[in-house]
Amino acid sequence: MNAAQTGIENLDLEKLNDKDKTELRQFLANEQQRSQIQAQTHNLTQICWKKCVTGSIRGAKLDKGEEGCLANCVDRFLDINFLTMKHLNNMRS
Amino acid sequence: MDSSSVKQSVMKQVLAEANLANARVLIEKLQENCFEKCVPKPGTSLSSSEQTCMTSCMEKYMAAWNQVNAAYINRIRQEQANN
Repeated sequence: MNAAQTGIENLDLEKLNDKDKTELRQFLANEQQRSQIQAQTHNLTQICWKKCVTGSIRGAKLDKGEEGCLANCVDRFLDINFLTMKHLNNMRS
Repeated sequence: MDSSSVKQSVMKQVLAEANLANARVLIEKLQENCFEKCVPKPGTSLSSSEQTCMTSCMEKYMAAWNQVNAAYINRIRQEQANN
């Protein structure tokens, strides 16, 4: 069995030196962020797909109108996100 | 195994699992949304037009995912630059 096929549970993490530990922590933080962004992308794609791809499916490519709509949809949804946060903050004080 | 190869196998495995998990969710969502679009009234069998619709829809949904992902990352960058 080579290194690539060894499960994490079988690895001797004690062997990591400080430099590799730091690198690994950074890597895991990045991966965590990447997976959060992907999760939010899944959510947003579904929301914006319903809003922007309204006709029947004619081809495998997005048309110009749909592309523009998706871009606006993401931006406006995030506007709403920020606005909600801001308003909730105001309500608190 | 030395420190560097332990590190590399951890990274490799985390990456593989994260990518697999992401692909799973994408397929699940794609099926849900394309089924909705392409099979509005399920018949006794899957028609050829439903099949064509489904394959186009899959590609289209993936294109939408990529576009949304890029737009979302763009916006995060902008917000970070403004703060």
